[in-house]
Amino acid sequence: MQRQRTYPTLLLGLAVMALLAFNLACGRGEAGQRGQRVIVLGFDGMDYSLTKELMAQGKLPNFSRLAAEGTFTHLGTSAPPLSPVAWSNFITGMDSGGHGIFDFIHRDPKTMIPYLSTSLTRDPETFNLLGLEIPLSSGGTENMRRGQAFWEVLEDRGVETTIIRMPANFPPTGTASREISGMGTPDLMGTYGTFSFYTSELFPFPGKEIGGGNVYEAWEENGVVEAQLHGPSSGDIKLTTDFKVYVDPQDPIVKLEVGDEERIIQVGEWTDWVPVEFEVSAMSSVSAMARFYLRSVRPEFEMYVSPLNFHPDNPVEVISTPEDYAGELAEASGLFYTQGMPEETKGLSEGVLTPEEFLAQAKIAGQELAHQYKYVLGDFDDGLLFYYFGNLDQVSHMMWRSRDPDHPAYNAERDAPFAQVIEDLYVEADGIVGYTLDNMGEGTQLVIMSDHGFASWRRSFHLNNWLKENGYLAVRDPNLKKDPGFLVNVDWSRTRAYGLGLNGLYINVAGREKDGIVAESERQALMAEIKAGLLEVIDPVTGLPAITKVYSRDDFEYQQEAAIGPDLIIGYAEETRGSNESASGAVPPQMFSDNTEDWSGDHGMDHETVPGILFTSQPMKKPATSLQDLAASILAEFGVDEFPLVDQAE
Amino acid sequence: MSMIFGSMRALFDAILYPFRELSPLVGLTVLSVLFGIGMLVVLKYTSNQEKLDAVKRKIHAGLFEIRLFNDDLRAIMRAQWDILRHNVSYLGLWLVPLLIMMVPLILIVGQMHFHYGYRGFEPGEQTIFTVELKQDQGSKPAARLDVPEGLSIDAGPVWIPAKRELSWRLEADARGDYQVGFELDGERYEKNLQVVDYIARRSPVRPAATFLDQLLYPAETPLPADGAVQSIALKYPPADAGISGWDNELTWMLVFVVVSVIAAYAFKGPFGVTF
Repeated sequence: MQRQRTYPTLLLGLAVMALLAFNLACGRGEAGQRGQRVIVLGFDGMDYSLTKELMAQGKLPNFSRLAAEGTFTHLGTSAPPLSPVAWSNFITGMDSGGHGIFDFIHRDPKTMIPYLSTSLTRDPETFNLLGLEIPLSSGGTENMRRGQAFWEVLEDRGVETTIIRMPANFPPTGTASREISGMGTPDLMGTYGTFSFYTSELFPFPGKEIGGGNVYEAWEENGVVEAQLHGPSSGDIKLTTDFKVYVDPQDPIVKLEVGDEERIIQVGEWTDWVPVEFEVSAMSSVSAMARFYLRSVRPEFEMYVSPLNFHPDNPVEVISTPEDYAGELAEASGLFYTQGMPEETKGLSEGVLTPEEFLAQAKIAGQELAHQYKYVLGDFDDGLLFYYFGNLDQVSHMMWRSRDPDHPAYNAERDAPFAQVIEDLYVEADGIVGYTLDNMGEGTQLVIMSDHGFASWRRSFHLNNWLKENGYLAVRDPNLKKDPGFLVNVDWSRTRAYGLGLNGLYINVAGREKDGIVAESERQALMAEIKAGLLEVIDPVTGLPAITKVYSRDDFEYQQEAAIGPDLIIGYAEETRGSNESASGAVPPQMFSDNTEDWSGDHGMDHETVPGILFTSQPMKKPATSLQDLAASILAEFGVDEFPLVDQAE
Repeated sequence: MSMIFGSMRALFDAILYPFRELSPLVGLTVLSVLFGIGMLVVLKYTSNQEKLDAVKRKIHAGLFEIRLFNDDLRAIMRAQWDILRHNVSYLGLWLVPLLIMMVPLILIVGQMHFHYGYRGFEPGEQTIFTVELKQDQGSKPAARLDVPEGLSIDAGPVWIPAKRELSWRLEADARGDYQVGFELDGERYEKNLQVVDYIARRSPVRPAATFLDQLLYPAETPLPADGAVQSIALKYPPADAGISGWDNELTWMLVFVVVSVIAAYAFKGPFGVTF
């Protein structure tokens, strides 16, 4: 009898285990469509018109193949069409009013101090006991984007997601199966990238600090250059580590020694990643890595050192999910830039790098990603894979004028050799698409998208000057020669509106702003008055309107985070953009100026003028017309009908 | 002296040859067990086992006394003093066998380190090949590096007068066990460089012919004493000794110590050894 009962019990047990295993495999919530494969490639800044033009010329055969077999359309971008905003629209399926990212820069109305919008670093809390700082909390970084990321919905349904370098996703959400943070990930200094330049000739750099980097004096003595890499601060101590460069007395070549690492570098050469350790104490150190570029040894010594990137094996901040995934990727496909925007745009702007050197550096960064992508694609089984390529955006910003002879900064002798650079990157992107089509497997839905397009940035509009000239903004010192920005020259007692960020305009509201003077009841009327005035502004050089759209934050579909954003968002006419000075809170003396910067292409304009692209290998079950719709379209491929979920959106 | 190091190289090359294609853990485990047993045998015949046993019993007695009289401070203090005294005696009894074991230990560890501490280069990897000269040449020496097919000179040389060093950047193009030639003033010096994935003796430094240099770098024959070159060095990547992700020159040592101690404990009964 005993034996007869054993077999049914065993069967029952097996059935229960099978049910449990099925439940585990399907995740916590309702089951999604497992086995489905969707690959989304994000090409930041890929322009619809240019893509179409190059396809017509037969230069993008893989994109053309995709368009022929699937779909190709323009993709509406965010207002304003700035990367952190646009990608947040994509991630959450909401507009800025929902996810709370309105620009690169926001301001704290309580202090009127600007801050970077996507993440917030909190210092460790300490308690002072008889002069000793007792730590109470470790501090950390908070992702300021609100709302649910669309891949969380898939993970909840048991679908694996791999999200590589999604912008505005630092620190990573921790909800994907595999994640690497992207744009917004800082370097070791906590900035978007601070390079170092060592030179024996300081004359071109009268100030030690330049935009995006630091210049250090370094000279050869008895055949050796001794200098220091400057790391972050630990308490009151500034962390540094020594390095030596032995210069060959005869040939343009050196030997670099940093800690136990050594490299031989010829003039004009970039090193691979050099691991660097900053000793905090006898028992602890901070790991980082840098690339060195030897520009010259004679007559002057010149060496560029990249921003100190987190070492993927031992990052100071969490940059991946799971935390060791960054190390796994590095092990499998080599070390890589961990900073969110690796292309050295500041080095070019500040004259530390030539265009050729900038392009060489950008190529290294692009090749790292392309190489890593092949590993990630090969490792992808099913579910959702998102992979981001930022190279095109950053190079387009810096080299756009080379394809625009009408740009005020165009210099044929200097720029003509680079006329094909951007097209070449589109062709490289086409190669990545071709590789994906050949290797993605049958039945995979391939989605190629960009967050916005591009346009030439020829003219700058100084919003704060316009506000001043029209009586909305007053300055403390009208004769201030160099306004440092950060709103320091604004006289708040006489200011009713001010500009901050690339497209933001704020009303100085009483009770909201620190020294607000406009009553809340007058806010709407003032906004309407300013909007009407701005839409009438004509650029005296072009004779065309400078501004084609002005949006109110009250018009956003979602309102839960709208209160932190600007009251008005300016949509500049194509080829016009808000000036850097106004964006940083300065009040420049003129209203318009030619853009003579290396940063010659942009997209911070009327969002309807710079749409992105959308290709799919098969028609989507739920077609998307804008970035904000795209996440819902991707989820629909997995059988998920509703996004953003109502409770999340609220 | 060179003959002893040469014999050790030949001996270990032969012993480890059967394990070269296997996981490093296999050869390491076998050698560690043999080493543990060897140390037991040495201990058995070079130490006074009876005295060792007696001293250990006295130490145990002291520990027992502390537990038994834990409310008597004077008894505890006396027991602790006795334990300390017997510990010194215990260490003294280990002195002779330790001194006897020291010589083979250094020779064995030296050889094992250069078999298991480093891995060979992979094709595509680069290394810096540095030649240190004995005399300052005044100006950049007219030296030549002769690399066989399968390796290539990627950059260099860099001449560092202060260190009397010439450095090249070499790249491995294909697998192989190579001899890189360095020629200066009509003399030729060679250095071994391995682009192989099996376990073999890898020499990061070809040393000078002095005793200390050979003791520190016993993996390759020393350079001629009357030559112009002090040393020839390159950097091999650290090996993981079969423990994935533990790439460190000393990972093998951890395995060696743990396994040999376990083996010594396991075999001390059968061999009738106390320690």
